[in-house]
Amino acid sequence: MASAATPKYNSRSLENDSIRRSSRDGFTRDLCEEIPRLPGETRITDKEVIYICPFNGPIKGRVYITNYRLYLRSFETDSGALLDIPLGVIARVEKMGGASSRGENSYGLDITCKDMRNLRFALKQEGHSRRDIFEVLTKYAFPRSHGLPLFAFLNEEKFPENGWMVYNPIEEYRRQGLPNDQWRVSFVNKRFEMCETYPSILVVPYHSTDDDLRKVATFRSRNRIPATGGGYESDDVYHNAEIFFLDIHNIHVMRESLRKLKDIVYPNVEESHWLSSLESTHWLEHVKFVLTGAIQVADKVASGRSSVLVHCSDGWDRTAQLTSLAMLMLDSYYRTITGFEVLIQKEWISFGHKFASRIGHGEKNYADTDRSPIFLQFMDCVWQMSKQFPTAFEFNEQFLITILDNLYSCRFGTFLFNSEYAREKEKVMMKTLSLWSMINSDKGKYTNPFYTKELNRALYPVASMRHLELWVNYYIRWNTRMRQQQPDPVEQRYMELLALRDEYVKRLEEMKMTNSAKLTSPSASSSAPSQMMPHVQTHF
Amino acid sequence: MEFSELIRTGRAEALLLPGPGQSTVRGTLCITSHHLLLSAGHGSPSDLWLLLHNVDAVEKRVAGNSGTITLKCKDLQVLQLEIEGLGETLDIASSIEALSSLESVTTSYPFFFRPQSLRLGDAEDLYPPDHFYQQVALETDAWRLSTVNRDFQVCASYPPALVVPRGIGDEVLARSAHFRQGGRFPVLSYYHSTNGTVMLRSSQPLQGANRRRCAEDEELLRAALALGGQRGLVLDTRSAQAVKQARITGGGTEAKAAYPGWKRLHRPLERGRPLQDSFVRLVEACTDPSLSMDRWLSRLDGCRWLTHVKEALTTACLVAQGMDREGVCFLVHGAEGTDATLLVTSLAQLILDPKCRTMHGFQSLLEREWIQAGHPFQQRCAHSAYAQGRPKHEAPTFLLFLDCVWQLSRQFPLSLEFGEGMLLALFEHAYASPFGTFLCNSEKERYLCEVKTKTHSLWSSLNQSKERQRFCNPIYSPNPLALWPSVEPQSLQLWAGKVSFPVPLPALSIGSALTGFLPTPNSRPFPPMDSST
Repeated sequence: MASAATPKYNSRSLENDSIRRSSRDGFTRDLCEEIPRLPGETRITDKEVIYICPFNGPIKGRVYITNYRLYLRSFETDSGALLDIPLGVIARVEKMGGASSRGENSYGLDITCKDMRNLRFALKQEGHSRRDIFEVLTKYAFPRSHGLPLFAFLNEEKFPENGWMVYNPIEEYRRQGLPNDQWRVSFVNKRFEMCETYPSILVVPYHSTDDDLRKVATFRSRNRIPATGGGYESDDVYHNAEIFFLDIHNIHVMRESLRKLKDIVYPNVEESHWLSSLESTHWLEHVKFVLTGAIQVADKVASGRSSVLVHCSDGWDRTAQLTSLAMLMLDSYYRTITGFEVLIQKEWISFGHKFASRIGHGEKNYADTDRSPIFLQFMDCVWQMSKQFPTAFEFNEQFLITILDNLYSCRFGTFLFNSEYAREKEKVMMKTLSLWSMINSDKGKYTNPFYTKELNRALYPVASMRHLELWVNYYIRWNTRMRQQQPDPVEQRYMELLALRDEYVKRLEEMKMTNSAKLTSPSASSSAPSQMMPHVQTHF
Repeated sequence: MEFSELIRTGRAEALLLPGPGQSTVRGTLCITSHHLLLSAGHGSPSDLWLLLHNVDAVEKRVAGNSGTITLKCKDLQVLQLEIEGLGETLDIASSIEALSSLESVTTSYPFFFRPQSLRLGDAEDLYPPDHFYQQVALETDAWRLSTVNRDFQVCASYPPALVVPRGIGDEVLARSAHFRQGGRFPVLSYYHSTNGTVMLRSSQPLQGANRRRCAEDEELLRAALALGGQRGLVLDTRSAQAVKQARITGGGTEAKAAYPGWKRLHRPLERGRPLQDSFVRLVEACTDPSLSMDRWLSRLDGCRWLTHVKEALTTACLVAQGMDREGVCFLVHGAEGTDATLLVTSLAQLILDPKCRTMHGFQSLLEREWIQAGHPFQQRCAHSAYAQGRPKHEAPTFLLFLDCVWQLSRQFPLSLEFGEGMLLALFEHAYASPFGTFLCNSEKERYLCEVKTKTHSLWSSLNQSKERQRFCNPIYSPNPLALWPSVEPQSLQLWAGKVSFPVPLPALSIGSALTGFLPTPNSRPFPPMDSST
């Protein structure tokens, strides 16, 4: 009886199995070209190159460029793709060496990526061989600088779920018990005429009229009125308000910190004095400040029964980080997959975090001072929380990494543009797919098996440097030495055990049924139970 | 000796201040010969029972008519007691100081501890002297069990029975022992059954400045190599420079010319004083509440503890890889062969041999490669990280081993049958325990003190089904392959379970979720059906 379950339980070591996570879901493979393509993806060019792999040395292969990705296949091994990177990940393409450069592999292209890696391709020096590929790459990696549409507008994928339906402002406010006798819904910004960086539906204090709001708007930086969701308030004017400052640095400091982090982890990890080098990047320290700030906000809201107004200079960077993290701490709904999607949709996308400026989707201007890893830093904080409370989040690490990968990929419309106003103008919801469509159509992949649903429990992470860790599986994932480590065999094992338990429970139920059936028939009642007992026991 | 002479005050009213993960207890404090008891009365579950031997340092502070005693324990917990009465405070502090520093083994608590659930001597058959040999004999008859050391005459720190090449007689062993520091001649530590390579361990040869040789010692290693393969490597856990130094004082290493087939490799591992200092600095850094947090990582770096973890694991991997992938035989030793040597040989076995990763196999490994192999637990664990004054022989080698095992368990969460709790328990018991398992420095001393007949074994306690379940890894899944850990610095982590940070993490772990309901080999998830229905 147990034979069906036993092999699952014992047959193989998960830890040494190579777990190949396929990234090709939903891709069609064209047999002639033999490169995976999404519906709507078209091949532009291909070229023989030498990929200068920082871990395994030069590898000869062929690089394929489509309007969505860069794909590299090695001539030497037939193990599929060596590289398969959405062009949206590329921050910068540069020419390396000149026609007269000497030395092996000294002529080619250097590619800087937004996701903590760089790529180097060497090409043959004869006949300006890199000119075409440089031009194609520049054009399709930075379509917005070349008058071309982002790939999200060409993507023809189909998903069973529609991620655009995930967030409905009215519904979400209703879930929070709004409107009520203190707060009301306002359509004052319906056509974005009051504030372009705010959503069309807002919740505001009950007694403030739309006229009041318009007046307030002219006083706030970029007309961003306080809603549930620059300069600082003078105490005399704002009665009953307590002001506290959170010591968080500006977006330029964050960008610089991440650059330093990349320097010590890519391509090679700074081995001697690793921890001191990590410290000198200050990345974890910044994460700590953001978490500390969010804890203070959450604590004020939870303990003081007071409301908190959070803002920074423009109200779309720090503010989004702090409010969304505080909400994650206070409301268990946001720790579910859907809840987290709503949280991002509401506090980040809807309330006008300038994704286009911070990420630079399809823009060639990599040195733009508007770029900053604000959202990445938020996701790092979420990851830190999920490390400290491994059973509190419905989603797993793969979910967070997938979101970050698609923050850059331009495959979905979710993170495109700076405000709801701009998205409406570009008809993003009509013309592109939502990242949540893909994720919600394959939820099992992003589910944390350890999740135990607990309602109304506030989670306060410990924002001490002693308890913060570097998110190695994200920042150092390109290092092949790290990849030998298995992603998370515990998850798989746990799911197997859960399945096993379900099976046993089911079987026990069946036995109970048989048992009671036999008991009701008088002929079997005396012998059946005693025979069944050892039968059950042998399997454990 | 009467314990009562040392107890100046047996009783006082006291308050235990809450520390990380502790709750406040107010009640009567009693000092007995081996324990400090703080009871709120009526056997309350929050009662504090502290083995006085666990106390590493006592700090007292008096103000007015009361005082505070801070007890810093060997297992790294820190207890703060507020005591009523000035005289009581001073008397209790000095009683604790006196009782906790008693060195006599036979009056220590394990000789008085008589739990109802255990019988004395019931661990006798658990790991009999020939246990290891019987396992090797299943694979090959090239090795034999020698009792040349049956009365501890040949080597004071070795057990009575040892596994040696079959063709080597006891008289050769005795000669070889003369040529090795402390008499620790090369013996079999591990037989790798997949390819027949072997790992031996010993102490350094007494080569001296005039490069002495010993024909019997050479014969022994020649025979071992002939059984295990063609190529041998002497892994010296000291630097070449340290070996040169050792030669001046009569030590040394195997000369190439004298041992054909054996090559030499130096992998210096920290031991003794520097290792103890590193441990002390680590605990200081972890418990320093005033440490500016933007300096935490560099401070942690500066302790070098994780560097020691990395070096130990790297060396063990090197040995394991050499045996498994390249068919090389190893002889591992440093100077005495009782510290870094055992660290390397035991870790290499854990990496290579799935049998060592079970609950029973791990206990067997500890018994054979640490306890019977003569790691001087009493000296090394006399004090932990808090004790004042110059350390004598203290060194946290065993803790370093446990830390390395913890790193393995993190990287291979399914492959070890025991969980983190087991490693923490071993750490605590090595420093202060009601059981006799980690008492003394060698089998000889244990024999003289009659440890095995007069104290209980930790193993019998751990193997009771209730304990066993507590220390099991609920997601264990036997893994027949070698475990190759990553030793990159970003793959190694501080084992936080070992130190209590000023701000502990909230308790909500996967472990607690897992142990809740999962079937473990020993327990049935469902009660047997009631036959009366």
